[in-house]
Amino acid sequence: MRLHKQSRANRGIYNSRRPNLQSTIAGHCPNVDDNKWSLCRALVTGLLVLLVFNSTPHAAHADESSIVNRQQRRIEVIERISPSVVCVMPPGGQGGGSGVLISADGYAISNYHVTSGSGDFMKCGLNDGKVYDAVIVGIDPTGDVALIKLLGRDDFPFCTPGDSDLVKTGDEVVALGNPFLLASDFTPTVTYGIVSGVRRYQYPAGTILEYTDCIQIDASINPGNSGGPLFDIDGKWIGTNGRASFEKRGRINTGAAYAISVRQILLFIEHLKSGRIVDHGRVEFTVRTSPEGVVEVDEVSQLSDAWRRGMRSGDELLSFGDRALRSANDFKNILGIFPDSVRVPISYRNSDGVQTATVRLLPLHGFDKAPKLPEERRPEPDPKKGEPDDHPDDHEGAHDAPDEPKVPEQYAHLFQQKDGFANYYFNQQHQDRLIGSLEKSLAGNSTRADRTWELSVATTIDGQKRTGQLGVGPQAAWLELSGLRSALQPRSEYTEQNEPQLFRGLLAATLQWHRLFQDRKAFSEITYIGSEHLLPSGRIVRTLTTQDGTIQSRWYFQEGSPLPIGADVQMSVGVDEARLRFEQWKMDGPVPFPARVGIVDNDTETVRWLDVDSLKVGGTQDNKSASVEVKTEVAS
Amino acid sequence: MNIVRCLTLLLACILAKPAAAIPPSLHEVVETKRNVVVKLFGAGVGTLDSYGSGVLISEEGHVATVWNHLVNVGFLTAVLHDGRRYTVDVVGTSLEHDLAVLKLNSDDDEVFPFLDWRTSGKAAPGNAVLSFSNIYRVATGNEPVSVVHGVVAAETVLDAGLGRWEFPVKAPVYIIDAITNNSGSAGGLLAAADGTTLGLMGREIRHRDTDMWVNYAVPWSILKSPISTILEGRTVRTTSSGEEDRKLISDRRLTSEFGFTLLPHVLDKTPAYIDRVVPDSVAATAKLRRGDLVLMVDETVIQSANDLRAALATYRKGQRVSLTVNRDAALQVLQLRVP
Repeated sequence: MRLHKQSRANRGIYNSRRPNLQSTIAGHCPNVDDNKWSLCRALVTGLLVLLVFNSTPHAAHADESSIVNRQQRRIEVIERISPSVVCVMPPGGQGGGSGVLISADGYAISNYHVTSGSGDFMKCGLNDGKVYDAVIVGIDPTGDVALIKLLGRDDFPFCTPGDSDLVKTGDEVVALGNPFLLASDFTPTVTYGIVSGVRRYQYPAGTILEYTDCIQIDASINPGNSGGPLFDIDGKWIGTNGRASFEKRGRINTGAAYAISVRQILLFIEHLKSGRIVDHGRVEFTVRTSPEGVVEVDEVSQLSDAWRRGMRSGDELLSFGDRALRSANDFKNILGIFPDSVRVPISYRNSDGVQTATVRLLPLHGFDKAPKLPEERRPEPDPKKGEPDDHPDDHEGAHDAPDEPKVPEQYAHLFQQKDGFANYYFNQQHQDRLIGSLEKSLAGNSTRADRTWELSVATTIDGQKRTGQLGVGPQAAWLELSGLRSALQPRSEYTEQNEPQLFRGLLAATLQWHRLFQDRKAFSEITYIGSEHLLPSGRIVRTLTTQDGTIQSRWYFQEGSPLPIGADVQMSVGVDEARLRFEQWKMDGPVPFPARVGIVDNDTETVRWLDVDSLKVGGTQDNKSASVEVKTEVAS
Repeated sequence: MNIVRCLTLLLACILAKPAAAIPPSLHEVVETKRNVVVKLFGAGVGTLDSYGSGVLISEEGHVATVWNHLVNVGFLTAVLHDGRRYTVDVVGTSLEHDLAVLKLNSDDDEVFPFLDWRTSGKAAPGNAVLSFSNIYRVATGNEPVSVVHGVVAAETVLDAGLGRWEFPVKAPVYIIDAITNNSGSAGGLLAAADGTTLGLMGREIRHRDTDMWVNYAVPWSILKSPISTILEGRTVRTTSSGEEDRKLISDRRLTSEFGFTLLPHVLDKTPAYIDRVVPDSVAATAKLRRGDLVLMVDETVIQSANDLRAALATYRKGQRVSLTVNRDAALQVLQLRVP
C-alpha cells in the first residue's frame, strides 16, 4: 500500500517535470502491442539483473576487501605512529614507563608517576633501537602529566594530536607503550580496544593524582604502559594512558583503563614548558546537583570574582569554560582540565536571567616541591623481579633512584633546581627570550626609573569627545580628561577609590607598566607561566608574571611581538584585577607607546579604550614631583 | 499495471532491500543499548561489591539482573543513563537461571527505554560481542554505563563458583574472550555487534578446575521463560534439591510482616544475625534487637539464616514462638507471635 502510494507520488513528480514524456508513456502503455510490452519487460528484467548483479555480489566482495583494507590501514597507521613512542627509563635502567614525542626538538609527554621515580635525567628508548638522554622539563602532579625533553637530535619523529572532545564511546583505539618492558629494542607494544566511556572522573583515591574528563578504554593497559599514548584509529594522539581499575586480580589489565585527554594535556603543555610544577585550579564557590537535576551554586566566597560578578547561593551554574553542565560531576570534570590561575568564562542563571562572567582560578595545591607519591602509585615493573602479577605489591627497587644518578656531562647545564620548579633552566630560557626582545624594543630605556611619561589621550564618553593626559612617574599615576574629575593613584598606597570611574584599575596597572618598561629590577620576581586564552579577545598569549611587593601582574605576549598586548594586575585579595590592554605599539617615540590603551570592564567584559596620540618623556626627579603636586591639587 | 508504476515498484524494492539490510554501526548500537542498562547500588557484604547492573525489560521499569547478594540484601537504588534515580522492589527470582526481576518504583506515567525481552539472538564462537555494564562504578550520575568489546569463545556448561558458592546455572553459557566480568558487571547486557540481545552478564567467579576468573553471560534465550513466569506473577519452579527444597520465608515477608531483616544470605551457613528491626513491628514487640544472633526457635537449633527462615515458615499465623538469642555474650529468650 505504501509502495503504491509512493509510486503514485513518484509519478506525480515525473509528470510535473517531464510532461512530454509522461504523455507518451502513460498515454500509450495500456495499449502497447505484444512486441512493445516484451521490450519493456526485457528492459525491466535487464535492469533488475543489472541491479542485482551490480549490488549484491559486489557488496559482499566490497565487505571482504574493506576488511582487508581496514587491516592494511591499521598496520600502516601503527607503522607511522610507532616512531614517536618513547620508552622512559631511570638512568639505572630499572623499571620504566612510556611516553610520546610531541615535537621535533624532543619534547615528550609522559606520566608524572613515571618520571617522579626517574630523577632529573633519564634514558629514553625509541623504536629505532637507540637510547637518548632526556631531562625533566615540567610536571603536573595532580594531572599525572610530565614533560621531558629528549636530547641529541632536532629531528625527532613526533605524533599529531587529535581532538579528544570528539572521541565517542565505541571508537576504535590503539594504545602503544612498553607493558612489562617487553621490548629490548624499544619497539612499542600495541594493544587494541574500543572507547568504553568518555568524560569519566577518577577520584584521587588517596593520592594527589586526579583524572578528570578522561577517556575509558578496554585496550589492555598494564604496568609499563603508563605515560604511553592512546591513538584513535587514524593515528591521531587522543590521550595518555596512565591509570587502570585493578582489584582482586592483581595489577594487570582488567578491561578498564583511563587515558588523560589530549585536550587537557594541550591546555597544560606551554605551562609545562615553563619548567614549573604546574598546578590545577580551584574556584571560590561550591556546587551541587539539586534534586531537580540542575547544577546549583551552594556557597560563594565573598572575596571571589564570582561574588563580585553577582553570583549567589542558589543560582544555577549553566556552563564553565564554555561547556554546558549537566551535573556537579560534570563541573568537577571540566574544572580539572584547566591549569591554575587562568581566567575561565562561566554562565549562570539567577532571578534576573542568564549572566555571564569570567573568573580567575586559584591554585589547588601550591606545591613548592614535587610531591612524593604513595607506594601504590609507583607502578612500573622491575623485570629482574619476575612477572609483576606474581608480586603485585612489590615495586620496591623499580623506582629507587640509583645511588649516584648519572648526569650526562654535556647536558648538566640543562637542569637547575629551584623551589616551585621541576627544572628552572627552562623558565630562565623563556624569561630571557621574552625580556630580551622587550629590552631590545625599549632601546636602552629600561633603567631610567626616574622618568615620567605623559601620554596625550582622547576618548568618547556618552557621545562627547574628551581629551586629556595619562601620566605616570615613579611615585604616582594620574588621568585627567576634559570635563571629568581627575584621578591620581600614588604608588606608595593603593586605594581603589582613587581609580577613575570609567577606567577602574587603569592607574594601578599603568604604574606596573611603567615599572616593567623602566625599572624591572624593582620586581622581586619574574616568572614565565605558559600560555592561555586572553579574555575577552580569546587570543592565545604567553604569560610572564612579575611580583612587586604584594602586587602580582600577568603580562601577555603574542607570538612574534616583543611588546605585551595586555596585563592583568592583582592589587590585593578581594579586589577586582586591573585588566590593561594595549593595541598597536608605535616605536617612533623615545619610549614605545600603544596607539590605544584600554581597561577591561569586569562587569561587561568589554574594553573601554583611550586613543593615544603621543608620549612625552619627562626629565628629572624635580619635574616629576612638581607635576605630581599640581595634579594632586586638581584631584582634590 | 502501467509500466511506470511497475518500474518504480521494482526500483523501490531493489533500493529498499539493501537499505534495510545495512546493519547499524557500532556507535548506533552503543548509543541505544547502553541506555537500557541501569546502574544498581545497594549494600556490599565483606568483599562483595555494593553495586551492579541491570537491564530494563519493560516500559514500566522492570529490570532483569543477576540474583546475587545485592538483590538479597535489598535497599537497592537504580540509576538510569540520564541520571534518573529510583528505589527498587524485587518482583521475583529464579535460582537455576541465577536471575532476579526487579521493578523501579516510578510514577505511573513514567516510561523507560527498554529491551524487548522476548527477542534475542544466538551467538557462535567467533562472533563479536559488546558487554554493557556498570564496571567499577566508573559511570556516575547521568553517565551511561561502560562498554567493553570481545568475542564469544565458547558456549558451554560452566563449572565455577566463588568460595562455597556454586554457580547454579546448569545450561550452557557464553564464555567471552575479554575481561568483561568485573566488579559491577553482573546483570549487564551482552549484545552482538549488530545490537542483537545475547545474554545477561554474569558474576565474578572462578573456574573450579583452573581457578581462573571466567567471563561469561547467561544466554538470553534461556531467560525468556523465567522472565515471563515472573512477570505473570508466578513462582519459578526449581528443579534443584537440598537446601532449596525447604520452604523458606522470604526476606520481603520477614521485613514486612515479622519486622526484621537478617544479615544477607551470602554463604550457605550465614549465621542468623538480626540486621535491622522495624520500629513498632512484631519483632520490636518481641524486643528483638539489631545484632542478636538467633540460636533456637522453640526446640529447633538454628545454624544459619536459612534455618531460621525455614523454621519460621513451619508456624501458622498467631502461634507463639520462643526465640533463644545470643545478645552481648548472654542468652535471652524472647516471645514472638507469628504475624
